[in-house]
Amino acid sequence: MATTFKTFSNNDKTSTRTMLHEAIPLTGTIVSGTYNEENIKNYSHGMFQSVYDYPYLSSSANHILDITYGISKDSAYSSSTTVQQEKKLNIYNQMAQVLVGYDATGSIRLFDEDGNFAAGGATIDEAWFFNFSRLLTKDEIKKGSFEMTFLTGGAATDAVKGESGAELTIGDTGSANDYRVNSPAGEYGILYTKSSGSTGAFSDGYDGYPCGMIYYQAGIAVLTASIFNNLHVPSNVGAENWVGLDAGPAAVGSGSCQGLMTGSEISGGVEGVRDRIKNISFSNTTELNSTIHFCRANHNEFNYSANPTYLSASQIVVKDKAADSPVAYVTTIGLYAPDNELLAVAKLSEPIRKDPTTELTFRVRLDY
Amino acid sequence: MGFLDNSGDIILDAVLTDTGRYRLAKGDGSFKITKYAFGDDEINYEIYNKSHTSGSAYYDLKILQTPVLEAFTNNTSTMNSKLVSIPRTNLLFMPIMMLNTVKDYSQQVSGKDSYYVAVDSTTEDAVAYSNSKAKELTDATAGILGGARPADHDQVILIDQGLHTTKISQAFTLDPDLKEGQYIVQMDNRLGSLSDKNGSPLPVNYIDDDQIATYYVSGQYVQNLYDLVMSNTDQLNTPASTETPLDGPLGTQVQCKIRSSTTLQTSNYLFETLGGNKTITIGSAGGSYRYIDSSMKFTGVSTGYSIDVPVRFIKKT
Repeated sequence: MATTFKTFSNNDKTSTRTMLHEAIPLTGTIVSGTYNEENIKNYSHGMFQSVYDYPYLSSSANHILDITYGISKDSAYSSSTTVQQEKKLNIYNQMAQVLVGYDATGSIRLFDEDGNFAAGGATIDEAWFFNFSRLLTKDEIKKGSFEMTFLTGGAATDAVKGESGAELTIGDTGSANDYRVNSPAGEYGILYTKSSGSTGAFSDGYDGYPCGMIYYQAGIAVLTASIFNNLHVPSNVGAENWVGLDAGPAAVGSGSCQGLMTGSEISGGVEGVRDRIKNISFSNTTELNSTIHFCRANHNEFNYSANPTYLSASQIVVKDKAADSPVAYVTTIGLYAPDNELLAVAKLSEPIRKDPTTELTFRVRLDY
Repeated sequence: MGFLDNSGDIILDAVLTDTGRYRLAKGDGSFKITKYAFGDDEINYEIYNKSHTSGSAYYDLKILQTPVLEAFTNNTSTMNSKLVSIPRTNLLFMPIMMLNTVKDYSQQVSGKDSYYVAVDSTTEDAVAYSNSKAKELTDATAGILGGARPADHDQVILIDQGLHTTKISQAFTLDPDLKEGQYIVQMDNRLGSLSDKNGSPLPVNYIDDDQIATYYVSGQYVQNLYDLVMSNTDQLNTPASTETPLDGPLGTQVQCKIRSSTTLQTSNYLFETLGGNKTITIGSAGGSYRYIDSSMKFTGVSTGYSIDVPVRFIKKT
């Protein structure tokens, strides 16, 4: 009986799961607002700023990340905040609700510096949030791959032009094997400071200072405001090497960011931080679930064709006499439903010869 | 679609078709891959050179150099010619399907190489009947299918399957494993539906996302062509050219009619969207008609051979 279809057996299908990683480098020029700041989107509500890779009014623009900051009700800044106080509290609480969750009494937890709530310890009462677009993070950020570098000292605008001398790099060092799972938003790692400045001025003691968290599945980096505030610089780190934000982007590097967080609108503070970012890099992860179909053509199968050019006056054109071997060429593999509807199609990059002396197995992978 | 890069390793470019995505989105379990087939749409076997002076290794050199297009996602645009499994390797002839236009009730419109479907009774009366009540064959104009009243008209589309060669006598019957017992008929469901020779509607198997309806025609609707021909001719050893266009051993025959859709009968929307309006001469008389050019595809389930039949839907303005 002539036939054109072959049914898959149980041995012809298998499922696999593959983690695909892409390196995502974000240069500081994009984040600091190249394109005359046309790639920076402000909103009338003023609760965050969005960064695009191109002027956001263009249909070619891709959303990169949102930046904002918040203050907890327990913060020393709370009472002194004069601008957008409620919104800054709301931002903090919203992010804490989603990323940290609630305690036994139903109260919103504060961000804990080391993620160990049971042990108590320092909390992050003033936090900066970097919410990366799903376009970049895909399913999750790869653990141990996250890194942000801030420019320290001097004027921010000069620093972006490469005139700055020192840098502060933070990253989730060691998180590939050491991460936390006690967040309702998934897994997260602790962000640590580490030296990579061009001046080499940072002492060994500078390394390993916890300064935030990176939530891998949520794609959100949370930084303590302390790293922008030289009033909170650890004693083993020179204040001159810290990322200082004082009164805004025009005057950085010398004082406290308290004034900025309490006395400026969120957009103004975000502008100051954006100008201090030299680069951000991480690898994303895409979880590919695949079904692999093994399409087998045995020696006595698929040796003839229904192609109209295969016959001339009903005679097979690749044969002179009946004893010649039939030959056909595969360019396409169709995967069908039981009712013969074509559900998927795979194309070979070149025709493959099929005759009775050959057996072929094609491995067709469909990703979901 | 571009060509696939064939400069290095062999790669497979696999995509879901639009129907595949549609069924996946429905989530009703209809996305279930159970079988596969191989296609060779791009291959032109006429360039297989059996007399290449450099030997047999060069016979298919040009075929193997054929560039292959990227995958189409439209489910009806690909896998139009499939590879066929036949355990025997000593076949020299394979059956084809031909439009039977030699019977007086299956001819195409003269000089048009197409069938016309009169979509409403006004058009039927104008082009196919001498008066609105006539049902006699002699009143019909060749190639005009009565789309509004298919039961009242004898005109059919007739497909014959068999060998089209004079090298084997028609007295021989076609090998049973090459004889089609079931046909797949595909047509645009917006324009019409399939009927049997008596005008009764045939059940549609499924309608895809592009409104292409698929019918499986088998059983009583597929007849043994050898029996049909031989019952009408005494000449076993000469081609029965008044019965079938095929010159060799005969397989089966399928015939059908088309019932025009309600949309075409009651509205001009599809004519304005998909077709046009012009003066068409049918028989000896010309008139102004709206028209849509379409085609039907007949495919043999066993051999995979298929032919396209051009069909024009017309409506008197």
